[in-house]
Amino acid sequence: MSATIEPLTTRSDAPTYTRSRVTALGALGEPFQWLLAGSLALGMTMIVGFLLLVLWNGVGALWPKPIHLVTFADGTRIAGEPTRVEEFRVGPERLASLDEATRRRIQVDAGYAWRTLYRTGNFDFYNDDFRWAADFEVAKVEAPVDFYFVERLEWGSFVGRIAVVEVAGERLAIDDPRAVAAHREALRRLGAIRSLEHGAIGHVNARIERERLGLRRVAIRESEASPAYAEAKALAEARIAELRAEYQRLADEVQRLKTEDQRYKVTLVEIGGKDKTLRLSEIVRFYPANGVGWLERIGIYLSRWGEFLADAPREANTEGGVWPAIFGTFAMTLLMVIVVAPFGVVTALYLREYAKQGRMVAIVRISVNNLAGVPSIVYGVFGLGFFAYTFGASIDQLFFPERLPSPTFGTGGLLWSSLTLALLTVPVVIVATEEALAAVPRSMREGSLACGASKWQTIKYIVLPRALPGIMTGLILAMARGAGEVAPLMLVGVVKLAPELPIDGVFPYLHLERSFMHLGFHIYDVGFQSRNSEAGKPMVFVTTLLLIAMIAGMNATAIVIRNRLKRRFAGSQF
Amino acid sequence: MLIADKVADWGIRIGGLSVIVAVFGIMVFLMQVVVPLFTGGRVLGQQSFRIAGPADTLVAGGLDETHVVAYTIGRDGEVGLYHVASGRRLAVPPLDLGGKRVTAFGRSIVGGEIALGFADGTVRFGKVTLSAEIVPGEALPAGLQSLGSDRTDGSAVFTPIAGEQFRKTAIAIRLDAEQRVVEGRSIVALDYRSGGTVERPVRTFATVDDAGVPRLSLAETRVNMLTRQARTTVSTAELPALPAGTRVARAMVSEKGDQVFVVDRGGIVFRYDTRDAKDTKLAETRDLLVGNASVGSFDFLIGEQSIVVTGSDGSVAVYFRLPQPGAATTDGFRLVLAHDLKPQTAPIEAFAPSERGKMFVTADAGGGVTLRHSTSEQVLLSLTQAGGVAKLAALAPREDAIMVIGADGLATVWHVAAPHPETTWASIFGKVWYEGYEAPAFTWQSSSGTDSFEPKLSLVPLIFGTLKATLYALLFAVPIALLAAIYTSEFVTPKVRGTVKPVMEMMASLPSVVLGFIAALVLAPLVETFISSVLLAFVTLPLSLLAGAYLWQLLPRDLSLRLGGGVKLALAFVALAAGLLIAAYAGPAFERAFFAGDVKAWANGDVGSGGPFTFLLLLPLTYVAVSIVSERLLGDWLGIERAQPGLRTGLTDAARWTATLAVAAAVAALVATLLTAVGLDARGGMVSTYVQRNTLVVGFAMGFAVIPIIYTIAEDALNSVPEHLRGASLACGATPWQTATRVILPTAMSGVFAAIMVGMGRAVGETMIVVMAAGNTPIMEWNVFSGLRALSANIAVELPEAVKDGTLYRTLFLAALTLFVMTFVVNTLAEVVRQRFRKRSAQL
Repeated sequence: MSATIEPLTTRSDAPTYTRSRVTALGALGEPFQWLLAGSLALGMTMIVGFLLLVLWNGVGALWPKPIHLVTFADGTRIAGEPTRVEEFRVGPERLASLDEATRRRIQVDAGYAWRTLYRTGNFDFYNDDFRWAADFEVAKVEAPVDFYFVERLEWGSFVGRIAVVEVAGERLAIDDPRAVAAHREALRRLGAIRSLEHGAIGHVNARIERERLGLRRVAIRESEASPAYAEAKALAEARIAELRAEYQRLADEVQRLKTEDQRYKVTLVEIGGKDKTLRLSEIVRFYPANGVGWLERIGIYLSRWGEFLADAPREANTEGGVWPAIFGTFAMTLLMVIVVAPFGVVTALYLREYAKQGRMVAIVRISVNNLAGVPSIVYGVFGLGFFAYTFGASIDQLFFPERLPSPTFGTGGLLWSSLTLALLTVPVVIVATEEALAAVPRSMREGSLACGASKWQTIKYIVLPRALPGIMTGLILAMARGAGEVAPLMLVGVVKLAPELPIDGVFPYLHLERSFMHLGFHIYDVGFQSRNSEAGKPMVFVTTLLLIAMIAGMNATAIVIRNRLKRRFAGSQF
Repeated sequence: MLIADKVADWGIRIGGLSVIVAVFGIMVFLMQVVVPLFTGGRVLGQQSFRIAGPADTLVAGGLDETHVVAYTIGRDGEVGLYHVASGRRLAVPPLDLGGKRVTAFGRSIVGGEIALGFADGTVRFGKVTLSAEIVPGEALPAGLQSLGSDRTDGSAVFTPIAGEQFRKTAIAIRLDAEQRVVEGRSIVALDYRSGGTVERPVRTFATVDDAGVPRLSLAETRVNMLTRQARTTVSTAELPALPAGTRVARAMVSEKGDQVFVVDRGGIVFRYDTRDAKDTKLAETRDLLVGNASVGSFDFLIGEQSIVVTGSDGSVAVYFRLPQPGAATTDGFRLVLAHDLKPQTAPIEAFAPSERGKMFVTADAGGGVTLRHSTSEQVLLSLTQAGGVAKLAALAPREDAIMVIGADGLATVWHVAAPHPETTWASIFGKVWYEGYEAPAFTWQSSSGTDSFEPKLSLVPLIFGTLKATLYALLFAVPIALLAAIYTSEFVTPKVRGTVKPVMEMMASLPSVVLGFIAALVLAPLVETFISSVLLAFVTLPLSLLAGAYLWQLLPRDLSLRLGGGVKLALAFVALAAGLLIAAYAGPAFERAFFAGDVKAWANGDVGSGGPFTFLLLLPLTYVAVSIVSERLLGDWLGIERAQPGLRTGLTDAARWTATLAVAAAVAALVATLLTAVGLDARGGMVSTYVQRNTLVVGFAMGFAVIPIIYTIAEDALNSVPEHLRGASLACGATPWQTATRVILPTAMSGVFAAIMVGMGRAVGETMIVVMAAGNTPIMEWNVFSGLRALSANIAVELPEAVKDGTLYRTLFLAALTLFVMTFVVNTLAEVVRQRFRKRSAQL
């Protein structure tokens, strides 16, 4: 650019059309402006496109799709849900194996062709859930009405016909209302078995374990030769015997239900003619994919969402729900806020109200700002090394010697995860609180002090209430950051499948030492560690949608509070 | 003062300070975990005792796992077993050698397999077992004598352990029947390896007789399935004879029996290639010692890839047998000096390898005892023993005790700890020559399937990976973020800004695990399929935007003024869409024209030439150069620069732009042809073999994380330039563009710089995106189509599996510390610059 701002008329050779004093073209930098605008547009396209991608896939993932019966040119047939259609490049070997006309057609499209991914299910028959069907190899696509999509407890989904439903010895067709009722009854029975197994029996087991540990504790404290031990042993053994009897009673009850459950069966036949008989209770949901109307579809969709939000995962997390992960994320975030709030606020109070504003405070403030930029994984490393392995191991030595060598607090868990994330988010809270404190007008503080209030009274009754919305904003932002972090949690306590929730009905109700599931880690785990990342994809997208919605919700709340704060300030100026 | 006040006062002070202390405690804690990596070894205790009989005639000795006892074997078959703590000799029957004296001795590194050679040409195999069994307290034999805290029954030692139990340590030596190797000749050197299965043991041994004939023998024992009787057959191959006058110091055989080494006292090594037992060859003859020094020891380390050679000049060197093209040997291999270790001051007399790693002990004639690690080349411990010339050295199986027996029979046992022998600053941040590698290299490979595997813990490939990911992410993110920030701050109305900025900031709140997932499972396959279109988009997007600009210039000035920045932004979306569409549709044609129809094969170097790609790389450069020239010369000549905007000027300018583009393309093509002719090809450097999860994808995904940060901070900085500066500039007649580039940007420069630094800090520490989308291969190449392994990803993947306080654990803490320091430096720099900027803008 050689655009200069010197007066145009000073040049003797100025062309005649520059008489009027309008801005010169070169000074506008139009091409550059367009590059700037283009960058902004690209940035916005990226974020909007990203959100749309997640939204589309997340919202659509649970929608019941039709079942297509695909007949290939070579006569083989598959049945499945069309999952995805995409353009692909036909490999040279594949191309060579095709006939002349097809090859030419593909070559016209520059070597690309379209293909559809069918979710064929029936993993137990074919060791595969999915099958690609390229457009050029498909001879015929039908939509048979009698094909069912069956969601099973094990082996993933099944696609095929339902031959017969056996209800207590009687053979029924699937469209018989009694069969549907039997299925509902079977599911209820399964629920009863589960609640017995996980609830009552789990409780009894926990109590037996507690007796055993209590005895070991006495052994460690008093040595096995002491009379106290003999006494404790007799007592514990009596209690354990009692509990064993209780256990046996419950186990018998479960067995009775299971025997009953055996009498309700269903036989499925897949497209290749292979059949499989399983218990009716092993089927979560079934519907004739091409024979259901819109209302029924919406019903299935909502019931799937219900399952997703309220149930535990199954099939290596690729199916079922994410309730434990939702619970874990919330519990961890909440605990983190409980820890981070006092510390962050106290530090900000110290920096803003108590410390002498000098070089030291400036350095500390730079450091706090800086710590906000320290990679989260470093906090994870610290959390593992310090909280779990050093601090937690000492707690185990002191308070839980009877459980050693298996660690209680000496490994990752809910408490350590929350503390690690609290450390990670404390700079966010400090900075936000400081800003909020700084925004409280000096005049109010001075007014309070002039009226004879002490420093603490001023802070408690004047400063903190005014700064509260700002502090809340900071806390919510910290929660949003904490809920989205995964990397440090991978080191300090998140697991792919936690058998128990961190809060339950067994004393002491809140189990801070337990490892837990987390939505973010669930995404990583299902997307990357599962046997078939394609099968898990719908789950991952729905989980992603949930996580983003959670974080966006928190951020939106923070923004609303911030705006309300602004309004309040506008009113409080005088 | 109220009590509440006092409590609050102190509470808040203590609370505030403790948070700050905690925050700095992180760094201290990380350092405290890392420091033991670099502390070498320590001596925990020292004990000594005197052995019975002369030390000169010892052939072997060692310690048990817990170094409670030490044993020695003499030439006459005398076995000594000593309780280390008290020095008391325990009763062990001597070996029954039939009155013969041992003339040669060989042993395996692990397993206690021994072989004895005799003057009559026979050998005997055996096995020394130091057994340890747990005995409950009540089962302890009666009448034990006390040995300090231990007890003995005269031949075994009982050591109390936890749970009222005792560990019984005893020695058992099995000696097999003798095997004849040669008739009428004495065996002077012997080495022995035991292999095969329990049912069919295969024993390989190499012998040299006093006539200088080396032999390789194979003893196979077969158990007859019916009679259950074992029969041993020995097959012996005579190796090519040694030159006359060779004074054999040592023979050594590899475990597979494919290599035999015979060493002359003067340091000449004869290496035999015995892969084919019927056609053995003398593969290599080398003098490994300088001058007329003589050999002190010549031994394998565990894994049999490293050979340690020590000399009477105190030298300690480690040799690898490596394939070398053009080597003057029959098998193409050569002994290569890999590690020249720190010499000792006196002739080295004794050597002992570790059973589990690359540590070894060397003891010299002056009483110097050194514990070393071969790969890291470090001296872990330097000790002194008082027993005179060292005759025998041993390293306990767990590497936690050293025994040296001096000529006067004084045995000294040091209890030592060297938990991290393989790490030094040089081994973590420098090139290390590992076994099996042809040259020193930066390598990260922390685990493997085999037992004798040596962890390779160089952080350099990981730091490189972090820097590579950061660089490519910033290359993508910085231009977009900065340009977008300038546009938002200077060219749109506050209302548009009010909607645009939160949208961009929303990007910052996306969890990185989500970005990683989308990048790896959605983006990576997509980019792989449409790679040509993706590459083309880098050309078509700027071009379509520029085309939009020149079309916009055709509008009448008053109309374009009225439409303003918001509409321009909307049109930029259209131009962007057009650019993307063109890229999508022209991708295949572009691929045919530039990459011989297949980008991946092209990148691999299989097809096509590098010329067209060089042309693409040169195009932006030549475009800038040509457009400067054309603006300076052509613009002035045509008067476009100063012309009133309008249709005619717009057309002229568009024509000029097209011409500029054409000329730039022509110049780029010319230069590219020239460069290609010279042999310059971008392939092999910036572009090479394509993998699905590559840096291009990582850079793009990381853009989502970095763009909003840079954008927000830079926009804030630009926006906080005092309004009066902007107003003054515009009032003087400058256009918004001139104001932005010459007034606002220079003023806000430091703030913009800080924005880039903060963005860089985020990119350096980003974990989930690199874990998921980068493929995690610790390679060092700038190739944009290959994966990488970043420090952060490495920690996330390996730390959950690392044993607490192990070398890997501490090294990963060092990786975390490195990350911490990297981001701390970058962020502090950004913060200092930002504060200076604030001060400056406050003064304006």
